[in-house]
Amino acid sequence: MASLDDPGEVREGFLCPLCLKDLQSFYQLQSHYEEEHSGEDRDVKGQIKSLVQKARKAKNRLLKREGDDRAESGTQGYESFSYGGVDPYMWEPQELGAVRSHLSDFKKHRAARIDHYVVEVNKLIIRLEKLTAFDRTNTESAKIRAIEKSVVPWVNDQDVPFCPDCGNKFSIRNRRHHCRLCGSIMCKKCMELISLPLANKLTSASKDSLSTHTSPSQSPNSVHGSRRASISSVSSVSSVLDEKDDDRIRCCTHCKDTLLKREQQIDEKEHTPDIVKLYEKLRLCMEKVDQKAPEYIRMAASLNAGETTYNLEHANDLRVEVQKVYELIDALSKKILTLDLKQDPPPHPNTLRLQRMIRYSATLFVQEKLLGLMSLPTKEQFEELKKKRKQEVERKKILERRAALESQRRLEERHSDLVSHATNGEVVSLRGGPAPLRKAEGWLPLSGGQGQIEDSDPLLQQIHNITSFIRQAKAAGRMDEVRTLQENLRQLQDEYDQQQTEKAIELSRRQAEEEDLQREQLQMLREREREREREQFQAASLHTRTRSLDFREIRPFQLEPGREPRDHLAHALDLGCSPAQSSAAPKTPSPSSALEPIRVWSGPPALDQEFFPQSTTSQHNEVPSLNPFDEEDLSSPAAEGTASRPAAEPSLGPPACVLKEYNPFEEEEEEEAVAGNPFTSPDSPAPSPFDEEDGHPHQRPSGPPVPGNPFEEAPCTNPFEVDSESGQEGEEPIEEELLLQQIDNIKAYIFDAKQCGRLDEVEVLTENLRELKHTLAKQKGGAD
Amino acid sequence: MNVVFAVKQYISKMIEDSGPGMKVLLMDKETTGIVSMVYTQSEILQKEVYLFERIDSQNREIMKHLKAICFLRPTKENVDYLIQELRRPKYSIYFIYFSNVISKSDVKSLAEADEQEVVAEVQEFYGDYIAVNPHLFSLNILGCCQGRNWDPVQLSRATQGLTALLLSLKKCPMIRYQLSSETAKRLAECVKQVITKEYELFEFRRTEVPPLLLILDRCDDAITPLLNQWTYQAMVHELLGINNNRIDLSRVPGISKDLREVVLSAENDEFYANNMYLNFAEIGSNIKNLMEDFQKKKPKEQQKLESIADMKAFVENYPQFKKMSGTVSKHVTVVGELSRLVSERNLLEVSEVEQELACQNDHSSALQNVKRLLQNPKVTEFDAARLVMLYALHYERHSSNSLPGLMMDLRNKGVSEKYRKLVSTVVEYGGKRVRGSDLFSPKDAVAITKQFLKGLKGVENVYTQHQPFLYETLDHLIKGKLKENLYPYLGPSTLRDSRCSYDLYYLPQDIIVFIIGGATYEEALTVYNLNRTTPGVRIVLGGTTVHNTKSFLEEVLASGLHSRSKESSQVTSRLASRR
Repeated sequence: MASLDDPGEVREGFLCPLCLKDLQSFYQLQSHYEEEHSGEDRDVKGQIKSLVQKARKAKNRLLKREGDDRAESGTQGYESFSYGGVDPYMWEPQELGAVRSHLSDFKKHRAARIDHYVVEVNKLIIRLEKLTAFDRTNTESAKIRAIEKSVVPWVNDQDVPFCPDCGNKFSIRNRRHHCRLCGSIMCKKCMELISLPLANKLTSASKDSLSTHTSPSQSPNSVHGSRRASISSVSSVSSVLDEKDDDRIRCCTHCKDTLLKREQQIDEKEHTPDIVKLYEKLRLCMEKVDQKAPEYIRMAASLNAGETTYNLEHANDLRVEVQKVYELIDALSKKILTLDLKQDPPPHPNTLRLQRMIRYSATLFVQEKLLGLMSLPTKEQFEELKKKRKQEVERKKILERRAALESQRRLEERHSDLVSHATNGEVVSLRGGPAPLRKAEGWLPLSGGQGQIEDSDPLLQQIHNITSFIRQAKAAGRMDEVRTLQENLRQLQDEYDQQQTEKAIELSRRQAEEEDLQREQLQMLREREREREREQFQAASLHTRTRSLDFREIRPFQLEPGREPRDHLAHALDLGCSPAQSSAAPKTPSPSSALEPIRVWSGPPALDQEFFPQSTTSQHNEVPSLNPFDEEDLSSPAAEGTASRPAAEPSLGPPACVLKEYNPFEEEEEEEAVAGNPFTSPDSPAPSPFDEEDGHPHQRPSGPPVPGNPFEEAPCTNPFEVDSESGQEGEEPIEEELLLQQIDNIKAYIFDAKQCGRLDEVEVLTENLRELKHTLAKQKGGAD
Repeated sequence: MNVVFAVKQYISKMIEDSGPGMKVLLMDKETTGIVSMVYTQSEILQKEVYLFERIDSQNREIMKHLKAICFLRPTKENVDYLIQELRRPKYSIYFIYFSNVISKSDVKSLAEADEQEVVAEVQEFYGDYIAVNPHLFSLNILGCCQGRNWDPVQLSRATQGLTALLLSLKKCPMIRYQLSSETAKRLAECVKQVITKEYELFEFRRTEVPPLLLILDRCDDAITPLLNQWTYQAMVHELLGINNNRIDLSRVPGISKDLREVVLSAENDEFYANNMYLNFAEIGSNIKNLMEDFQKKKPKEQQKLESIADMKAFVENYPQFKKMSGTVSKHVTVVGELSRLVSERNLLEVSEVEQELACQNDHSSALQNVKRLLQNPKVTEFDAARLVMLYALHYERHSSNSLPGLMMDLRNKGVSEKYRKLVSTVVEYGGKRVRGSDLFSPKDAVAITKQFLKGLKGVENVYTQHQPFLYETLDHLIKGKLKENLYPYLGPSTLRDSRCSYDLYYLPQDIIVFIIGGATYEEALTVYNLNRTTPGVRIVLGGTTVHNTKSFLEEVLASGLHSRSKESSQVTSRLASRR
């Protein structure tokens, strides 16, 4: 990494990531960026964007581990992050399981069967058509018979002495009848008749599908016309002539059955019940809602935020439209519900159930979607909103400017102070060399520059980016993109506003407390330093044995890359904040003075006043501990010492923590950079990281038992006691007692184990004991 | 490896493939359960499925404007019903899905019945098991064995269920089974047979490490299903009984009408999903929080939505509010009933002794405690019997076993004959004679140390000390230490050979464990935790059913082992005489 970056050419300050121009303040850089580069190629911005996104992702992952949600607090114990295993709910997405289709097989078998059936039906219908193709009334019966016989060969009378259906013997009285469709013989009782209208229906419905079968000579139209005539003219005659049923066609039961089945099929095909018609309308409406509602919600949200992207009237129109569709859905589903209710034979219960279910699902749909529709501001409200928004933007700008000025002043004021604090001999001896080396480590000027802008206030940065994107998208006429961006922008601005207010409140409060805090913390930090040294020693000795300690050590490692840029960023910001300082800082060979204060100043300029107590104290803090980084650099700059690194981390913890504390302005950025640090906790003013840990056992992975920390497992001795949070400071003495007890217990166990000669146990127990004693010592130290 | 998701995907695919329009879902008794575990009514309504019908119901109306999606098990009856249905179709078009392999001849007879060409799809979708949790499935078979052998009907059902599971997860596993159990071996062989026969189906993308199917027998650990439970899901099942996610609360005193039966599904109940594995104390505090949240959202009576803004806020929150109120009242009722039962049945004390019986080896103190509890009038006959069962299982061969004395106590307490007989039956079912491994005393130095250290911390929850035997088995399996002489591989040497090349390094990653005779929710929790704590390992647990103590005892009873109770009573009398 170092080879990529010549230390001599490191530039710091508010550098524009695109043209590397140094701009004096963050605000200026912002405006510069917007003015100069907003129209420029998107690639760079894409890069920035992706950087931000990456950081966000990392942040989210880390935050998730901390799990502040109460609902989740219970499951934290199993949190996958700390263990490496995965919750079955989170198992990677899987594809659809195996399937096997039998459709082709099925179709093959069906075809074999169906073909036969279909051919039969078609044959019947063709014959039927032939039989009805001529004018029956005006034709002599002999001629009719001849035609009928030509359609299908009749079975010989002599061959059939009995009726095949009922078994009666044919005689003069019981005469034979021929089926006109298949030619078979039956008695009169077994004979069926097909009326002409039915025949007509069957043939006309089939004529499309049968067009290949019907002979071209038969024009369906003529058939139709002639039949019409026959119906009207013959009806009277047929009633008189019983034997000669001209308007009907004789056939056997089998043929009639087949034809009736066919008729049923035709009926079903043609008939659409009311419910289907209504239902189709209903679905159409639902689709419409699915299209329009999101669009409206976007508009309404934007308008309610006082933005002027959308036209209020247009939104109102859309609202009315959507509401109308909802009303229609409601009405349609109601209609479906009450369909056929008053019919005399009441509909089948299943029909009613279907209607109820459709109504229910429509109600669900409306409930879910309609209630999500927010209302629009009235015209007057909208004007007000717009004004308010403008004012807010103005205020923001002013605040920012003021903050920038303030910070510069403070910076200068404090600088002398700082130097006087850092007079410890060891620090002086460490000066020289390391600073540039440190700077050269692990980052590129370009990415650093980008990071700097991002880090100095990612929100603002993002807002500006998006504004320019919107402009571009508008120019390009991509309205949907504009919409998404707008939404994005709105959210960002909201968040920013919130931060602003928080910052203002914090500012006033902190200023009052500043002096006291400074003194107090100096004292505290000195003591903590001593403890930390002890802890480091312990940690090293336990390194390989206990899993929990492994975690502690590994996490800082993972975070290392994330932390590095912060430090560098600090350099950069330092330059930007105070031009005077910027020239001085690089020249100062002291690693601590170059590193520490800067790290602290990396917050927004306005807050540097608050940082100062910290910066001084943290410096003190570093001094006796022989900042391991510096040491490392001095002794073996190339060695990424695995042993000293973890030990070093804790000492880097407090500054980060402090930053987080005092920097509401940059909340987001801080989280990105720091949130992963296991030692930071957002809610107490800079205590030792280890105390912090004891105070909030629920924030730690509670999985593998930590031998040195027996308290953490305490909360489930009795399932009926609702365990209180053991995080209160006031509980410390009790814990101490517990500790003492535990130590005594373990001593007894060791004795026992020695007696029995179980040496491996003795070892484990001794380890345990050591941990406990250490924790006790720490507790006492913390309590003092 | 998520079984809930696997089934859900099948169902969504069916519904999607049938296109738009009103639909009816035609199912049989079992598939109704399978679908209801993964979908709620409102969820499925949104997919235009408005009616749910049973294929065997006679009272179905002709509704030609509906499309029918048939999801059926490929049983003989179902095929017959379907043939009848197709002869006289009631719906316009049929999409037929079988939950398992269907024979060619059945397909043919169906095809021949479809004269009106209403069938548009015939497929096998292997959702042939009840998906309880992402890592837990059940086949809802109660009483799978007769004596020490499979009931042949249930064997085939279990085989179908397991092969369907493998197919739905697209796993073609190596198989290991518990040597001491004949049923385990039998099932393993049957599964293998299906895999060999339907080899085309089981051709999936080869993974570097082949998945593993481990088949175990409940007999090996009869302790776990006899214990009282304190984590939410397990406790609800133990005390109230969960049946396909449904809980019958009708026996709860003063229950309101709409809470007679409630559904606890992690799929759509966030509170349940977050709390199902927490212990009772934690649930208590979480319920309190839930109530508080609810109170906050609830518009106060005296406040009365005065301004329009109030109204608006209320209306906007309403769906959420409504949903929440359902959740709140449901869980408050369930937890309230649990704690009522706990105090009524003196379960805290009972459970403590149970845990002592299951986890510790102090005979005299255990005996004393059991005796003391048997005198306690608050302890129900059910709990008394199970204490004695635990005692009988643990100290079966103890030199100073005093089971006859305890049996006398049971009789004096007025415990019914049925339960007293069950004591010996349980010993017959899961006693030392049938166990393949040692359930009670720690096996090796590591385990001893672990147990000792556990004792040291002294802060452990006394009610949840017990760790199912399954934990150890799986732990060994994951670490590649599961002994092959106790849990051999099944299969021809070819499979073994292919494995041999990396035998030493074969650490399975995707594991399916199946317990013949039923799993328990305690074991499900164990598997859940193993999943979360072991990187790269995914374990799915299944059983012929999911037991609580009651259903377990029914299973034991159904196994028909009580016929031998004479013999075992002889054993006890012999033991008594030895004293």
